[in-house]
Amino acid sequence: MDELPGDLPEAAGRRFAEGSFTSGLSVPDFAACLQMGLEPAGYVQGFCVMQWRWYGMGMSFGAFGPTGRANGQGYSEAWQCPHGYVSAEHRGWGQNYEQTWIEDAWREGFSSSYERMLEEARTLGAHGIVGVVDASSPLGDLGLLEFRVQGTAVRVIDGPPPIGDRPWTTYLAGQRLGKLIEAGYAPVSVAAAISSVRVWANCITEYLTEGSTTNWGQVAGAEIEQTAKAHMAVRRIARERVRAALGGDSLHGASLATTERELGQGDAELQCILRGNQVRRFKDFDPLAAPRPTVRLS
Amino acid sequence: MADQPTDLPEGASRRLAELEGGLFTSDLSVNEFLLIKEVGFHPLGFVMGSSIYHTGIQTRKWGQSQELTKLTGAMYEARELAMTRMEEEADELGADGVVGVRLDVNYYEWGKDAAEFIAVGTAVKAENGVSHRNKLGKPFTSDLSGQDFWTLMQTGYIPQGLVMGTCVYHIAHRGLGQTLGSAGQNVELPNFTQALYEARELAMTRMQDESNQLGASGIVGVRLEEKSHQWGSHTIEFLSLGTAVVKTSDEVTLPRPTTIISLDN
Repeated sequence: MDELPGDLPEAAGRRFAEGSFTSGLSVPDFAACLQMGLEPAGYVQGFCVMQWRWYGMGMSFGAFGPTGRANGQGYSEAWQCPHGYVSAEHRGWGQNYEQTWIEDAWREGFSSSYERMLEEARTLGAHGIVGVVDASSPLGDLGLLEFRVQGTAVRVIDGPPPIGDRPWTTYLAGQRLGKLIEAGYAPVSVAAAISSVRVWANCITEYLTEGSTTNWGQVAGAEIEQTAKAHMAVRRIARERVRAALGGDSLHGASLATTERELGQGDAELQCILRGNQVRRFKDFDPLAAPRPTVRLS
Repeated sequence: MADQPTDLPEGASRRLAELEGGLFTSDLSVNEFLLIKEVGFHPLGFVMGSSIYHTGIQTRKWGQSQELTKLTGAMYEARELAMTRMEEEADELGADGVVGVRLDVNYYEWGKDAAEFIAVGTAVKAENGVSHRNKLGKPFTSDLSGQDFWTLMQTGYIPQGLVMGTCVYHIAHRGLGQTLGSAGQNVELPNFTQALYEARELAMTRMQDESNQLGASGIVGVRLEEKSHQWGSHTIEFLSLGTAVVKTSDEVTLPRPTTIISLDN
């Protein structure tokens, strides 16, 4: 290996120059890959450390007007107090808004790591990457978030050299991938998108999340419109984003993970990550053999 | 017992002598036991090795990310000792290999900087008398379960050894100036990315070096673990582990999977 492509660390080049393969696949997945005609070329990885903070602007309390939005982009909705009551203790305005700066930073962290992983795979002359895993985790107490994307690069046994410089990628490995190909679909790329919505509660949302009937006349058990809309919006945004990236291909094995950080009475930050496999039909479906009923003796 | 390994405790040789009489111990589950028998191996005994190691301390620069080579050396050496002792026990039993190896680190209250490294596994021997020892003439080791061992044998690969590489890395603290310099932005910090990236690649390269010494064609089931042990959040050990395998036949005898419907539950 004469020169290292791009910005991979020096040790990566040495690792790949050695010639033997490494595989992060479990033995069953490894065996299934060989059976499909794929041989592991190497364990590939990409990392990106980002400085990380959760808040942008929009920190005002919202007693006298809508809380400010960071940059006026994306989803936003405001609720006004119906009571006509103005006080520093009464939350006259509430707002849901999309935290686009969080989404942008996540995208940067994810795609930088992803591109670095592709770079490693290209170095190995791989056709694709199977069993992709992505994660992000805080690094010590430094206010840093580390993104990682890892997988096992594979080559088609006795196949022609890869076309183009972007190996295909998939979260699947082993028999799951085998079944997909058997069903007539080829993996194109992993698809992942994030959305982040901040909820600043107004008075009504605040009382309703307290779960009690208040002297303002609200009834416990009613739908909390502001929170419900935030939950719908955060999922919708993530799904629209992935759909926009598919460009006519199908999404297989999608998983939608929503997390909520409670920040105060009715105040919350919602985050939604949608992951799936972009796949493309390349042949007609061959019907599978009829399943055989079994009972495990364990 | 002619050539008794030198550093095994007396109790070990008594236990092993009993095992040579035909009795065997194993921590294999029933299913694993059956599968190992199916590919022509017989369990000989549960083997272990341990090493209590003083990992010492190493000065580190507060604001610089760097590898702590002394700690890297200690963590590697200690595991290697435990593994070697386990191999000695297996060798004593005349084993071809050890399956289901687990490598653990334990800390005790009595020793702040000392840690106990333990390797345990089940020694196995081929029933047809053909030696499956690795290139170095030692029993192969692997962290594969009985099921994995069976599956691997069907693909024409056989294990050569549990290989590992480690790198203990110190992550720089950030000065006030640096923190303020990028305050309020979510941006990539290339120095940190590069440091951690390098540390992981070093661990993996070292693992691969071990596998090359065994003349392996590859490593399966690679795991990359990160632990801070007792060093605080700025010092991290990157440990990569896997089973080095060598290809002995092009023939994949794994039967085509059958679709099933489970009638359980």
